[in-house]
Amino acid sequence: MRLTTILLGLLMGSLSLLPLTCAAMADDKSTLLRVAYDTDPVSLDIHEQLAIGMLQLSHLAFDPLVRWNRDLQLEPRLATDWERLDDTTMRLHLRHGVTFHSGNAFTAKDVVWTVQRLKRSPDFRAIFAPVERVEAVDDFTVDLRTRQPYPLLLNLATYIFPMDSQFYTGTSAKGQDKSEIVKNGNSFASNHLSGTGPFEIVSRQPGTRIEFKRFPKYWDDDSPGNVDRLVMTPIAESATRVAALLAGDVDFISPVPFSAVQRLRHADGVKLVTMPGTRITMLQLNEQRVPAFRDARVRRAFAYAVNQTAIAERLLKGFATPAAQMSPKGYAGHVSTLTPRYDLARARELMRDAGYGDGFSVTLMAPNNRYVNDAQTAQVALAIAAMLAKINVTVEFETLPKNQYWAKYDNRAADMMMMGWYSDTGDSANFFEYLTFCPDPDTGAGRYNASEYCNPQIDALVDRANLTTRPDARAQLLRQAEQAIHDDAPFIPLYWQNLAWAAAERVDIAPVLNVMNMPYLGDVVVRSR
Amino acid sequence: MIPFLIRRLCQAVLVMFIISMIGFAIQGGLGDPVQQMLGPAATEAEATALRHSLGLDAPLWAQYLDFANDALHLDFGRSYFFHEPALSVIARYLPATLELVAASAVLTLLLSVPMGVFCAIRPRSWLSQTLMGLSVIGISVPVFLTAMVLIQVFSIGIQVTLFPADTGWGHWLNQLFSIEGGMPAYGRGNPVHVLGVWYTNFATLQGILYLLLPAFSLALVMLPLFVRLIHAEMLEVLESDYVKYARARGLRPSRIYFLHALKNTLLPVVTLGGVQIGTLVAYTLLTETVFQWPGAGLMFLDAIERADMPLIVAYLMVVGLLFVVINTLVDLLYRLLNPRITLSGRAA
Amino acid sequence: MSPETRSPATVWRRFRGSYFLYRLQRNRRAQVCLTLFVLIMASVLLAPWIAPSNPYDLAQINLLDSELPPFWIAGSEPAHLLGTDVQGRDLLSSMLYGARVSIAIGFGAVLLQSVLGTALGLLAGYRGGFVDALLMRLADIQLSFSTLMMAIIIGAVVKAAFGGAFYGDYGVVILILIIGLSEWPQYARTVRASVLAEKQKDYVDAARVLGFSSYRIMLRHLLPNTLTPIFVLSTIQVANAIMAEAALSFLGLGMPETEPSLGSLIKSGFDYLQSDSWWITLLPGLFLVTLVLVINLLGDWLRDTMNPRLHKG
Repeated sequence: MRLTTILLGLLMGSLSLLPLTCAAMADDKSTLLRVAYDTDPVSLDIHEQLAIGMLQLSHLAFDPLVRWNRDLQLEPRLATDWERLDDTTMRLHLRHGVTFHSGNAFTAKDVVWTVQRLKRSPDFRAIFAPVERVEAVDDFTVDLRTRQPYPLLLNLATYIFPMDSQFYTGTSAKGQDKSEIVKNGNSFASNHLSGTGPFEIVSRQPGTRIEFKRFPKYWDDDSPGNVDRLVMTPIAESATRVAALLAGDVDFISPVPFSAVQRLRHADGVKLVTMPGTRITMLQLNEQRVPAFRDARVRRAFAYAVNQTAIAERLLKGFATPAAQMSPKGYAGHVSTLTPRYDLARARELMRDAGYGDGFSVTLMAPNNRYVNDAQTAQVALAIAAMLAKINVTVEFETLPKNQYWAKYDNRAADMMMMGWYSDTGDSANFFEYLTFCPDPDTGAGRYNASEYCNPQIDALVDRANLTTRPDARAQLLRQAEQAIHDDAPFIPLYWQNLAWAAAERVDIAPVLNVMNMPYLGDVVVRSR
Repeated sequence: MIPFLIRRLCQAVLVMFIISMIGFAIQGGLGDPVQQMLGPAATEAEATALRHSLGLDAPLWAQYLDFANDALHLDFGRSYFFHEPALSVIARYLPATLELVAASAVLTLLLSVPMGVFCAIRPRSWLSQTLMGLSVIGISVPVFLTAMVLIQVFSIGIQVTLFPADTGWGHWLNQLFSIEGGMPAYGRGNPVHVLGVWYTNFATLQGILYLLLPAFSLALVMLPLFVRLIHAEMLEVLESDYVKYARARGLRPSRIYFLHALKNTLLPVVTLGGVQIGTLVAYTLLTETVFQWPGAGLMFLDAIERADMPLIVAYLMVVGLLFVVINTLVDLLYRLLNPRITLSGRAA
Repeated sequence: MSPETRSPATVWRRFRGSYFLYRLQRNRRAQVCLTLFVLIMASVLLAPWIAPSNPYDLAQINLLDSELPPFWIAGSEPAHLLGTDVQGRDLLSSMLYGARVSIAIGFGAVLLQSVLGTALGLLAGYRGGFVDALLMRLADIQLSFSTLMMAIIIGAVVKAAFGGAFYGDYGVVILILIIGLSEWPQYARTVRASVLAEKQKDYVDAARVLGFSSYRIMLRHLLPNTLTPIFVLSTIQVANAIMAEAALSFLGLGMPETEPSLGSLIKSGFDYLQSDSWWITLLPGLFLVTLVLVINLLGDWLRDTMNPRLHKG
C-alpha cells in the first residue's frame, strides 16, 4: 500500500470513528415520512402501466374496493360487503360518505366507469377479460358479471381503484379527451389525479420526487395512520438506497437488496422486515428447440440435477426460499409435500435410461443486472451450468441486460430461459395460465411458456378450477395440477426470492406490509421523537 | 494566435463529427428502445406508431442528417428513458462527475507537489526512496482495485484477529490494527442545491465525507505520474545554471526551491495535467461504478444498458467537446507560460 | 541484421559477452523482476499441468465448496490452497488460467498495436506532408480522448452490435482488437520521431540515390534503427494492455464469467465484497498488480539500459 494511502488512511480512519449520527438529525417534523423506492411511477394515470410502482402509487392516492391483509385474506375497503348472486354474478355494496380529492362524492357510477376504463387499458385488459359487464344497481350497489363462472372476482377487485369519473370526463384545456389512456404520452390523466386515497399530490418531478399531503377528508377514520406529509424519491441503485436510510436521509426503503440484509439487521436505529416472497424464478426447458426435452425422463433428470437449496443458501445468502413448485406457501395450489429433489445419482440414472448418458449440449439465457448487490442471476445461471455439467450436459450460457433479454425471450432464442413470475391475482391458477398452458397466441394463454410445453390434461384441471367457485374444491384441483407439473417437470423451479423492507426505528412499518409488496402507507404510524 | 484557434476549431468539428458517427453507429445494435418503452404487452400497431413518432422508421442517413441538424442547435433529442431532453439529463448528472474530477485534481496537486519536490531535494532520504518506489507500484494498480481496497478498509472495516484475543496485549494489538469502517462508500449522500441543476457535495461536512473515498481513489491514479514528473523536472531545474547562480548569491534554499525551481517545473505539469484530465474522465467510469457515484459515467453505462440512444450520443458529444476545450486551454496556457513557443499551431 | 546463418553456440557466446547481460548482473532489482517474470510466465504457460483443477471445466465445480478461505484462515481446505470463489471454483487455478488469458490479450494487443503503429509511424515519418499531418492529427485526437475511453467506446459498440454471445465466444480476439486499435498512436509517434531523426542521415540519402524503393528503405534501413525504442515501449505497453483489459472486464466489456481473465475475476468478487469474502477479489487483484509491476519495472530497467531515443508523448 502506498504511503499516502496509509497517511490519508490514518486521517480517514480517525474521521470514521466519529459518530456519523449527526447526519440523522435532519428534520424535526414528526409527521413527515420520506420514502425511497427503486422505481418511480412513470405517470399519474394508474391505468397506463401495470407495474409495481404504479400499484404503489394507487395505494397512496386511491383506494381499492378490497385489499389483501398480512394473512393473504381480503379486507373491505371501498366495498364494504359482497355476495355471490349466482355462479357468474357478484354483488358489491359500496361505502357511503367517501369523497374524492376533487370534492366529488364517490358513487357506484365511478366504479362502473373505472372498470370500463380498465377494460380499455392495454396493460389491464387481459386481467379484466373475464368481466363481461358491470352495472350500477343503485348509487351504492354494483354488480360484476362474468362470462363464465370465475372464482377470482374478488382478487380482481383488488385492482379496482375507483377513479373520479366526473373529474376525468370531458375535454381538457388542450382539447384532449380527459379519459384517454396514452402510453408514454402527455394525457390529461397522466398529469392530473383525483382519487379517494389517504394522500393527495402536492407536486411531482418525474424521476426525482413526488410530494404528498394527507387528504383531510379521507373517509377511513379508523386508520391509525398519522403521516401528514410524504415525500417519495426513487433511488435506483440499491446500495445507495441502503446508504440513504443509514444516513437518515430517508425513513423507509423498498426493496432491500439481499446483500445488505445482514448489515441492516444489525444496524442501529433501523428496522428490517423480511417475508418469504411469492415471485417464482424458474428455468424453462424448451421442447420445441431441444428434442431431448420431449422425453419426461430428461426433464426430470434436469430437475434432479439442480440443487436449489445450495443456490438459495450459497449464492443468495439464504435470502431466498428454495422452490420445488410454482405456488408459494399460502397459495391455494401449494402442495406442502413437494420439496427440492436434488439427487445426482437419480439424475444420472434417468439420463442413462433416456439414452442420453453421454449428455448433450444446450444454450441458456438469463437476464443480468449491472448494479452491485442485487440478486446475481448471472451467477445463478453459471451455477446451474456447473450442476448440469455433472450429468454431462454442456451449457453454453449468455447473460443479457434486461431490455435485450426480453426481446430474446419473446423469440425463444435459447434452449433454456430464466424466468421470474409473480401472480398478479395472488392465486396459483395465474402461474399455470401464463407459464404452462399450451401456447395460444389468440387467447394469450401460455404467453410466457418458453418451455413450449403442452399438456391439455393439466390445462383442463386448471380450467376446471377456474370454473369452481367453492374454495376447497378449487384448491384441490390446483394442487393436483401442481403435482402433475412437478412430475412432468417442463421447467426447473429455482427459488422464491424473499422480500425485505427497512425503515427508521420510529416508523412502525411492520403492520402495513404484506407479501404483495404493497405497503399501505396510509395506515403507517410514525412515532414522534 | 488566430490561425491556431481556427485550426483548433476545425479539429474540434472533426472530432465532433467522428464522435457523432460512432454514437450513431451504435443505434443498430443496442436492443429495441420501442419494445422496452412499451413493455411486452404492446400490440404490433402500437409499436409501429411509437416507432414512427420517434422517427425510427426513416432511412439511416436521413436519421443521421436529422440528428446532425438538431445537434447544431444543441438539441440531442429526448432521452427514451427520462422523457426529457438528453442534454438536460446530462446537465443533471455532469456536476457530480465534475465535482469528483475537481476534488481528485485538487488532491493530486496538493499531494504530488510536496512529494515530488521533497524527493528531488533529498534524493537520498529513506522517505524519498520509499515514495519513488511506491510511485512505481502506484502506476501498476488498477483504479477499481484501489477503490475496492478503500471500501474494504474504510467502509466495511477490517477485523484483525491475528493476535491471541484472550491475552491483554493480543486484544490491544487486535484493536490497534482493526479499522471500524463506516465511511460512506456508496452514492453521493444528500448534496446541497446551489443553483440550476447544480447540487454540490462541497457545502456540508457530510457531503465531503461522501466525496472522500471516490475522489481519493481517483487521485491515486494520477498521483504517481505527477510525483515522478515533478521529481524528474525538479532535478533537471536544480542542475541548471540559474539555480546554481541563485545558490551562489546565497538565497535561502526554501526560496530557491519553491519560488525559482518549482515555477519552472510547472510547465510540464500543466501539459501532463491537460492530457491526464481526459484519462481522469475515462477513469470516472470505473470509480463511479465501484462507488455507485451518480455521475455522468454511471449514467452513460446505464444508458448503454437501456439502449437510450439519444443519451449515449449526447454523452459522447459532451465528453468529446470537453476534451477538445480542455486540450485547447492547456495549449494556450502552455504557450502563455512559455513564451518561447509560437502559436503557429504545431503539435506540441 | 544480416541473414547469415547463426549457430546457437554463436548466439550464446554473443549473449554472454553482451552489454545487456553485463548490466543485468549488476542490478539486483532487475534480477528479481526477471526471475519473478519468468516464474509467472512459466506457471501461467504450464497452468493446465500444474493447476489443481481446470476452472473452465464446469463439472469440477461444486457450489457447496463456495467461498472457502485461503489456507491461513480457519475453515480452509487443503484441496483449495487459496480458497474458492462464490461458485466454488478453486481460486489458485482460476488465477493461473485467468493470468493466461490476461497475458495472451496483453501480448496480442501489443503485437497488433506495434505492427499497426510502426507501419503508420514509418509512413508518416518517411513520407511527411499530408499523410503525416493526417495520421498525426488522428493520433492526437485519439490520445487526447484517452486510450481507455477509446477502448470503452469501441468495446460498447462491438458488444452492442454483435451481442454478448459473440463477444463471449471471441472475447480474446475482440479485446486484442479493441486495445490494439486504441493504443497504436503511442507507437506511431515513437517510430515517427526516430524516422525523422534517421532520415537526415547520409545513408538514407545514399540508398535513395542508389535507386532503392521507398518500401525497401523503410523496411531495410529505417525500421531496424527504430527497433530499440519499439522494444522498450512494448514492455510498458504490455503492462498497459493488461491493465486496460482488466478495466474493460471490470465494466463487463471484457472476458465472460465462464472464461475469466484476472479482470473478470476481480469483478465477480466485487459483487460479493459485502459478504466478507475479500480474497475472491483481492488475491487476483494482488496477482494482477504483481504481474503489471514486474513488467513495468523491467521496462524501466530496459529503458535505462538501452537508452533509446524515446519520444515522450
